[in-house]
Amino acid sequence: MSADTGGVSHSQQVIDSLAAENKLLSRRIEREQRIRKEAEEIAEQGLRELYNRQRELEFLSQITTMANQAGSARELLASALEYISRFAGWSAAHAYIVGGQGATRRMWPSNIWYSDPGLDISALKAETAGAIFDEGVGLPGQVWRSGEPVWLEDLTTSDNFPRHEGAVQSGMRAAFSVPVLVESEIAASLEFFGPNPTPQDAALLGLTAKAGTQLSRVIERDSAKARLYDAMHDSLTGLPSRPHFMREVEQALREYSLDRTAGFGVLFVDLDRFKMINESLGHAAGDVLLTQVGARLKAAIKQGTIAELPNSGDSAALFARVGGDEFTLLVPRIRRPEEAFAVADRIHTVLSEPFRVEGHEVVTGASIGIALSSSEDRSADELVRHADMAMYHAKARGKARSEIYDSNMQDRATRRMALYSELRAAVDHEAFTVYYQPVVSLADDEIVGVEALVRWPVSPTTVRLPDEFIPAAEETGLIVPLGSWVLREACQALCRWNTTRGGRKPLTMSVNLSPRQLAQPDLVEEVRAIIADTGIPLGLLSLEITESMTMEDPDFAADVLNRLRALGIRISIDDFGTGFSCLSYLHRLPLQVLKIDRSFIARMETNMESLQIVNTIVALARSLGLEVIAEGAETIEEVERLRSMGCNFYQGFYGSPPVAEERLLLLLASSP
Amino acid sequence: MKGIIFNLLEDVVVEIHGDAVWDALLDQSDLDGVYTSLGSYDDAEIMGLVSAAGNALSLTDDEVLRWFGRRAIPGMAKRWPAFFVAHQNTIPFLRTLNSVIHPEVRKLYAGAYCPHFDFTSPTDGSLLIGYRSPRQLCGLAHGFVLGAGDHYGEAVTVEHLECMREGDARCLLSVTVE
Repeated sequence: MSADTGGVSHSQQVIDSLAAENKLLSRRIEREQRIRKEAEEIAEQGLRELYNRQRELEFLSQITTMANQAGSARELLASALEYISRFAGWSAAHAYIVGGQGATRRMWPSNIWYSDPGLDISALKAETAGAIFDEGVGLPGQVWRSGEPVWLEDLTTSDNFPRHEGAVQSGMRAAFSVPVLVESEIAASLEFFGPNPTPQDAALLGLTAKAGTQLSRVIERDSAKARLYDAMHDSLTGLPSRPHFMREVEQALREYSLDRTAGFGVLFVDLDRFKMINESLGHAAGDVLLTQVGARLKAAIKQGTIAELPNSGDSAALFARVGGDEFTLLVPRIRRPEEAFAVADRIHTVLSEPFRVEGHEVVTGASIGIALSSSEDRSADELVRHADMAMYHAKARGKARSEIYDSNMQDRATRRMALYSELRAAVDHEAFTVYYQPVVSLADDEIVGVEALVRWPVSPTTVRLPDEFIPAAEETGLIVPLGSWVLREACQALCRWNTTRGGRKPLTMSVNLSPRQLAQPDLVEEVRAIIADTGIPLGLLSLEITESMTMEDPDFAADVLNRLRALGIRISIDDFGTGFSCLSYLHRLPLQVLKIDRSFIARMETNMESLQIVNTIVALARSLGLEVIAEGAETIEEVERLRSMGCNFYQGFYGSPPVAEERLLLLLASSP
Repeated sequence: MKGIIFNLLEDVVVEIHGDAVWDALLDQSDLDGVYTSLGSYDDAEIMGLVSAAGNALSLTDDEVLRWFGRRAIPGMAKRWPAFFVAHQNTIPFLRTLNSVIHPEVRKLYAGAYCPHFDFTSPTDGSLLIGYRSPRQLCGLAHGFVLGAGDHYGEAVTVEHLECMREGDARCLLSVTVE
């Protein structure tokens, strides 16, 4: 019994102990399973971290390489935005840049973008281009205020994302942004956009923020460079230099885009006659003049002579030297063209007083172009270019003038550039021809000579007249080779004709000289060579100058003309009567011929005053022993009137218009 | 095949049929059953287990894969919650397979082969998933899609328009949410 009992209890004991053992083993298996899973989890976590760290290292090393190789901050931002977007799988990215000082300090769109190929985010770009943010406003403003990354899980529900319309139109729903800090000051922010509402990814945010730190080095380098520019002044005049000036204009543009009443003007001031002064008195003298001009302008600004002095806190007008004889002036607080013209007039006044340069009295002056801030101006470069263009127009209209930019100037400038290049090609290919207008003797109606006049055939039916291209040739300096070519052609032609004239008096040749040619230091040598090469006999060649050409520097002009005279060349003064026609001054020049301007001849029969002027010039010429040629005689009445006054010669349609050589030869054959 | 798939299969089998069934499957397939999530194992082993399960449950291999895939989703959602909480619906979740989930898989299981899915969205709001893989585990993919539907509480229908197992160059699954 007891055995049975013992047996039962033994079996029970065995069962119990097996059960206990089973339970123990189950717990052990369960524990082992949990150990395995935990070990796996630790390993997985380790792998994940390793992977992330490797990616992070690769990412940062890539960004560092970019930062080291970057040419400029802009280039760097562009490549970094693309790399980060692709790395993180975000669709679009843009950078905001802090600009302006004090009250105008804002986050400005850089318009540097990345977007996935094929993705159209033009709506977001357009809205961003006009979105300037103050501290705390919008995504850039929040990054600015906190100096920390900001994540917007869903743009449609964010109450501080003013650009959500453009973003949603472009299919963007989430955004995040990180600061680019330079010495703990915000310099820029990078913002990224994705198509789905996305919960914050702390790792991505942290990584991108690290990229921002790397990028800041380059931004810092760039801004240090900019500060260096700021400190840089033109060593000659002590005025600020072009980079400094451009930065100030940028700043003014920024203020203007925030406050449309903060209009301003840019004046482009180009000295007149500087090149001539430089060439005739030497470069050292030119430098002295520039220094004096700089000093005078600086003093005038300081005294408030040119622009009103600023109230405290306002910015003052700023003069800079931006090129050889080019100065620029930034005038704050002007809105109307009259105000800008008043400033320009005061600059003309300041510069009109003669300068003393190395014992010489030098009279200069300036051509001034004006551009006023307008909502269309996108950049400082553009605005200054417009002022430059206006200056060019002022210069074309004569000395000491001011012009204000208008949009037609751009078109004209484009056309002018086209003309320049055509003209250059034509000069290279000698694609010109010379026409000749007979000079007729009033004593016997015989053709005694011709004036050479250049023509530019551009097609079999179209010939360009000098008015259409000589000003451009003068501006580009192409007049120098063109003028030489015409002179050579004319001399050769004259020699051809004169060999077949038999016993008749040889013809004379008259050729125009341009201001640019007269200023060429080697003009006399060039003419001497042409005379020698063509064998044109002494006394047959006249060079025509205008009064105004000799006015700028009478001594220089007299010297050149005397040396030409010494070569046996006759000097005639063209369009006499239209300038100052100062007698004493006329006397100083070695003249042989006066040409009466066509405008007097045309009015002579109807206007008593014109008639008297012609009469006076003829009498004056006779008393000075000069020959007189009347230009533009078109009718028999005019010709007879001139004959009765004792005028020697005439040119004009009554005799013949300018004609090609073949036609001239026919005229010569039929001339009495 | 990555050990994680074996682990998921084990979890599903044990949860529904008990660990004895898993042991029996291992015995029938003549496998020792040592699978760690990070290891890689012969593809034949998973197919052996699938066949054995099919024999035990009187199901085809394809049916077993579907069943497994569908039942595996809750475990995956527990293990990798971030992928699932980022979406509220089945189709947007599925569309992130290539761009979000696969990179994550590779992150953990270096060298893992991930099939590439082509997604197209017909105008009727359905989703077409193109699938090419030498493993021809379209049944598993099918099951995963159904499981995702369960997860988001959506009634999802999967239609097999083309199938590599029937000689097509690829599998094409049409996914419709009611």
